[in-house]
Amino acid sequence: MELLQNLLTTFNFIVQGLWVTISVTAVALTVGLAIGLVMAVARVYGHPALQMAVSAYSVVVRAVPVIVIIFILFFVISRYVNLSPFWAGALALGFASGAYQTEIFRGALQAVQPGQMIAARAIGMSRLQAIQSIVLPQALRLALPAWGNEATLVLKDSTLVFAVGVPEILRRAQQVSARTFEPFLAFGVALLLYLALTLITTQALQWLERRYRLQV
Amino acid sequence: MKKQMLVIPALIAVILAISACGGTPAAQPTQPPAQPTQPAAPAEGKLAQIRAAGKLIVGTSADYPPYESIDANGNFVGFDMDLIRAIGEKLGVEVEIRDMPFDSLIASLQEGKIDAVIAAMQATAERDEKVDFTIPYRMTKDAFIGAGNTTIIMTKPEDAAGLTIGVQTGTVQEGWIQKNLVAKGLTPADKVFSYERADQAALDLASGRLQLVLMDAEPALELAKQNGLKVLLVTETTAEGGKSIAIPEGASDLKAELDRIIQGLIDDGTVKALEEKHGLP
Repeated sequence: MELLQNLLTTFNFIVQGLWVTISVTAVALTVGLAIGLVMAVARVYGHPALQMAVSAYSVVVRAVPVIVIIFILFFVISRYVNLSPFWAGALALGFASGAYQTEIFRGALQAVQPGQMIAARAIGMSRLQAIQSIVLPQALRLALPAWGNEATLVLKDSTLVFAVGVPEILRRAQQVSARTFEPFLAFGVALLLYLALTLITTQALQWLERRYRLQV
Repeated sequence: MKKQMLVIPALIAVILAISACGGTPAAQPTQPPAQPTQPAAPAEGKLAQIRAAGKLIVGTSADYPPYESIDANGNFVGFDMDLIRAIGEKLGVEVEIRDMPFDSLIASLQEGKIDAVIAAMQATAERDEKVDFTIPYRMTKDAFIGAGNTTIIMTKPEDAAGLTIGVQTGTVQEGWIQKNLVAKGLTPADKVFSYERADQAALDLASGRLQLVLMDAEPALELAKQNGLKVLLVTETTAEGGKSIAIPEGASDLKAELDRIIQGLIDDGTVKALEEKHGLP
């Protein structure tokens, strides 16, 4: 009975970080999606100089640990722009995820057969039109499985934003474990919450995959 | 976790080194300009900025009870938290507490994200290069402990002379024993035993191999409770330094005011009452 009581108190405390984790992840994924899509199109169809620039971004950002990007954004950039810890953390995660998503979408764009582009141009579409209405819709479908993987990784990377003081699930678990000296209980609750979030995310993406599957 | 703790300060150091090349002093965009209602204070002083904002932003690492932790309702509680609120009251400003990892506290202070740090922090020489410290609000204390059935009675640290004693290797306590008991010939060198960890010494104390153990007071009380040992003496004499509030480098006006308030709180017994409230030796 006492264990149940402890579990309930611990859960009630840690679950308050759930919304923070979800918000950070959602912001990061959205920012990363916007960056990734634009960069991938530029990488595949852009001017050679643009392609070089995008490759450089992708290589450099993927080479740097996310925690370093968070620190740079929070401690250096926010001297000039006043960023709250939440936004510094979420934007940094999004900036990092953008590089990975660039690669995901680049692969997907390149996996669409070149004949599709040629055919679209042959019936009089501009390059932009062809990308928009012929290549991208197919590429997005191809990208979904890999993107779902990235989504779960960003969810777990969201624990890093605590380094600048955002109280998400993991930090709340640390706080409880420091107070109650029951680390197993506290981190067990955190584990369950992350597991639930990951399951929901993957289920939603699988539904999307089924819903938009190409009928060939 | 342990690994990450080592990595983070290194990263912060790198980033700060990079950012220092920019040569721009840390701006404090969150601070509104000093209001004309306080003409006495210099406009550019840190203290004046805090007074003008009406708010002291304090960083802590809320995972170190009884100094600082978060209760089930999400409130910051503990000795440090009560103390900083009392200080805020004397300053006449509201206190806003922000939780972050211990490793990020100094960097946040340097970058002006927070005005002060209270986190059971000792003013070590390394930290002192980066930030300034107030006078200590609580001295570090040591405890002599003995076996549960011991008949030794101690009133001062020198009463340990001649007795078999255990200490942790490389600690301040070991240094004190060597300097004040062994070097003066009060205790033979072969009666001093150094252990890798203090709790190992406590085990030998329980089994009768040692007569005394000298160690940090707070873990000593915990060990004594767990292993049925007896706390013989709690003292500041053998310890070095104390816990201070960290403030930005060069904020001399803030330091002077905080020093004055802390001394006041020590003198009027507030600190003592808070120590008792939180069960600190």
